[in-house]
Amino acid sequence: MKLRPFRLSVLILSLFIPAALAAVVLFLVAYSGQAIIFNGLHFITGITWNLGDLYDNPVMVRGIQVPAGAEYGILAFVVGTLASSAIAILIAVPLSAGTAIFLSEAVPELERASRSVLPWLPPIRPVLAMLVELVAVVPSVVFGLWGIAVLVPFIGHYISPTGNGYGLLAASIVLALMITPIIASTLYDALCQVPKENRESAFALGATHFEVVTKAMIPMVRTTLMGGVVLALGRALGETMAVLMVSGGGINMLPTSLFSPISTIASFIVSQLDSAESDPTNMSVRALSEIALVLFLITLAVNAGAKLLSSGAFNVRKRQ
Amino acid sequence: MKLSKLLRTGIAALAITTGATAAHASTMRLSETGSSLLYPLFNLWVPAYTAKNPDVSITTASTGSGTGIAQSIKNLVQIGASDAYLSDAMVKFHPAMLSIPLAISSQAINYNLPGISHLNLSGPILAGIYMGKITKWNDPAIAAANPGVALPDHVIIPIHRVDGSGDTFIFSQYLAFSDKAWGNTLHYGTSISWPAVAGGIGANGNPGMVTALQNNPYGVAYIGISFAKQVAAAHLGQAALLNKAGNYVLPTPETISDASSSVANTTPPDERISIVFTPGTNAYPIVNYEYAIVNSKMTNKKEAAAVRDFLTWAVNDGNAMSFMTQVHFLPLPDSVKALTLKQIDSIK
Amino acid sequence: MSASVSNASLTSGKSGLALRRTIVSTVGWAACLMALALVIFPLLDIVGVVAINGMAAINWDLFTKDTGGTNLGLANAIEGTFIITIFAMLIAMPIGVGAGVYLSEYGKNKTGSTIRFLADVLTGTPSIVLGYFSYIVFIISFGWGFSLAAAAITIAILIVPYLARITELALAQVPNTMREAAYALGGRDSTVVFKVILPAASSGVITGALLALAISVGETAPLIYTAGWSDYRWNGQFTNSPVAYLTYVIWTFINQPDAHSHALAYAAAFLVMLIVLAINIGVRLTVRRGPRAG
Repeated sequence: MKLRPFRLSVLILSLFIPAALAAVVLFLVAYSGQAIIFNGLHFITGITWNLGDLYDNPVMVRGIQVPAGAEYGILAFVVGTLASSAIAILIAVPLSAGTAIFLSEAVPELERASRSVLPWLPPIRPVLAMLVELVAVVPSVVFGLWGIAVLVPFIGHYISPTGNGYGLLAASIVLALMITPIIASTLYDALCQVPKENRESAFALGATHFEVVTKAMIPMVRTTLMGGVVLALGRALGETMAVLMVSGGGINMLPTSLFSPISTIASFIVSQLDSAESDPTNMSVRALSEIALVLFLITLAVNAGAKLLSSGAFNVRKRQ
Repeated sequence: MKLSKLLRTGIAALAITTGATAAHASTMRLSETGSSLLYPLFNLWVPAYTAKNPDVSITTASTGSGTGIAQSIKNLVQIGASDAYLSDAMVKFHPAMLSIPLAISSQAINYNLPGISHLNLSGPILAGIYMGKITKWNDPAIAAANPGVALPDHVIIPIHRVDGSGDTFIFSQYLAFSDKAWGNTLHYGTSISWPAVAGGIGANGNPGMVTALQNNPYGVAYIGISFAKQVAAAHLGQAALLNKAGNYVLPTPETISDASSSVANTTPPDERISIVFTPGTNAYPIVNYEYAIVNSKMTNKKEAAAVRDFLTWAVNDGNAMSFMTQVHFLPLPDSVKALTLKQIDSIK
Repeated sequence: MSASVSNASLTSGKSGLALRRTIVSTVGWAACLMALALVIFPLLDIVGVVAINGMAAINWDLFTKDTGGTNLGLANAIEGTFIITIFAMLIAMPIGVGAGVYLSEYGKNKTGSTIRFLADVLTGTPSIVLGYFSYIVFIISFGWGFSLAAAAITIAILIVPYLARITELALAQVPNTMREAAYALGGRDSTVVFKVILPAASSGVITGALLALAISVGETAPLIYTAGWSDYRWNGQFTNSPVAYLTYVIWTFINQPDAHSHALAYAAAFLVMLIVLAINIGVRLTVRRGPRAG
């Protein structure tokens, strides 16, 4: 192959990504090594999480020094993570699609129609697009505050049969709100870029405007939609503070309904790290590293799944 | 692209601002990190102290007691703030680390029961609630502690902290010291392996606890005393707790100092002792020393001297009521202060 | 919307099918409008809460005084956020955009799809894990202490995959005809990328950069363990000198009992929003000129 310096240099730049990931994963594996040996498979199948008595003297278990009574089972957090992210995606995708379609297709026409009546009307699209982008930077603590001030009481009063608003549903909705801007803005950008010819030929075939959107345009932006969803999913899986504030912090139990308290892996790591640091044996922090490793594997699996679902779709450009 | 131009202007602007701040470099810089309960007090202390000692600058941070302990051990900060003393094992692993009490704090048990203005609770009752053995407010155990009170036939919602917290530490100590079933299984610590209780929920931070209790009628929660104002503003009740002497007491300056004076003479030289569930007749049962975790063998002797000076000031001038009342803390009793000063002097 | 109705009526006649299509279209548009409302109202509420509480707390002291515990202003935090973000972007932009170019232009192979896949996995790594990784590696093992260097590198690791993937998605929307034309004119790889493809996709690339910027301004968890916290301004050192940042103020001060701390927390949140909004508008005004692809 001919030497192409430019291609080589961008390849090298892109190799930073696997390098960084490898460094983090190697670190996690090395750091959690003792925990992996201590926990075995029980780590994944157990639902009891107990840091043990950090104020009692450590004990030797299977040749490893651990706090007395320590037991690390994370099934409940795995379930909580998958459930909250899945529900968040289920809520966010239709909302984002509707929002992006309306902004890119209906609003320009509404504007054109209304401008003759209201010539001073500000441009709606950029303002709304800006709002959507602005939300991406609202700190997650603020989402959490909004969650406990508005969303949780709402769920408690109107939806939850027990009157308690904290839990799986609250966490999912907050996550959905946080990721909707990501999906909506990538989709919106893609819809704006669909070539005129595609739209017009669909119109020419007698399709209604809505059919043009759903039958001709959406299939063309499937790749971008999928990419946006995967990005959003990554964000949802890794979100900590907002989830911590509204999820009800379920521990030692599997969620049984939308209103069960849950913990997600990422939020649980944050909530336990401080206590774990006062463990003289360091096993607590190692167990948390092992959880992070599991989250990494979940992310890997989710991405692999998404890739299978859209296999071939990543090379969609050929069809344009 | 124009981005690079933007960045270049930004860096130029930065160079100017940072040049202006280089003057700080000559002063002694100390860092404190850890307990969120001690944080407000440090924020009152530092401006008062640095006003008199302009050559010292002290950064305060609220990161959690465990972080305070870990980072002071790793010498990332000079002062770690903790609501809990170091465990025996920790002292064995890190013999140079000191647990130095700076002030006395306490915790309230709050409830959200419409129409009930006074409620008596005990360690065994709270342990039963948080373990899921006592599920309704009109449970015989609660009724027995509250004669004449019309307790509702409603499920109790126990609320706990999801983040690691000194509040969880002293709350679980109260349960562990007063209830055998809790003490033998769940022990005490800054994080607890909370039993699965139907309806129970977790909240983040003390403000999260206040909001969660407000959002959940028939709830019960443990909340640090510094949040007494917010709790009162939210119209939440404050429970009287059963102490070791068998009396129900509310947290007041008198009952809290009764608790601290009851251990004043038994506090060991390393001052690692709990003030939870102490014997005084009117002693409030959930009280604790707030600690500075400091390495007694510092590498930088100048830093050691600066830490000594600041901590000495903190337990003398800093223990004045003008500081303490603002955060609902109490000063150290004299005999404890003597021990504390001795520990501070050993920082080298 | 008007087009949907008129189009439908033009082609309809009176058949049941046409009627159904009209109904489906109308219901579809109504659903889209409802989705928009469901997204906009909570988001407006959230932004509004920040704006109202934040504006109430804005005063000159915020910009001239350091935090001094929770007592005074935010000058140290504002400066720190700018510095961390700028250095993080300086590290991340070339890597992220370069990787995006590789993935889009030359990455239609095993290597490309592997990198693409790993980038997606990296975005899913929770930021606290990256923060703790940096804490153990840079702060403890390398002995850097809490420092700007560790903070900027951590944030860069966090945003590179976003930059790469969004750049790639943006470049993928540039029609192949443009590439073919550029190569046919004898353009070299670098010329084609810098003069044709990147300009054509500039709005998408900038969206990616803005998102990355937003993430780095808005992140808390990775900074707690790397930047540490300082009540004073940055002293110009890259290692062994903690740096202040706005998100710490939001995250910590909101958990304080006093009203003044809450006011500062909201002011910090509002400033974070304002900073990003300003960058957003500024960049869009300067760059949104080029023709869009298609």
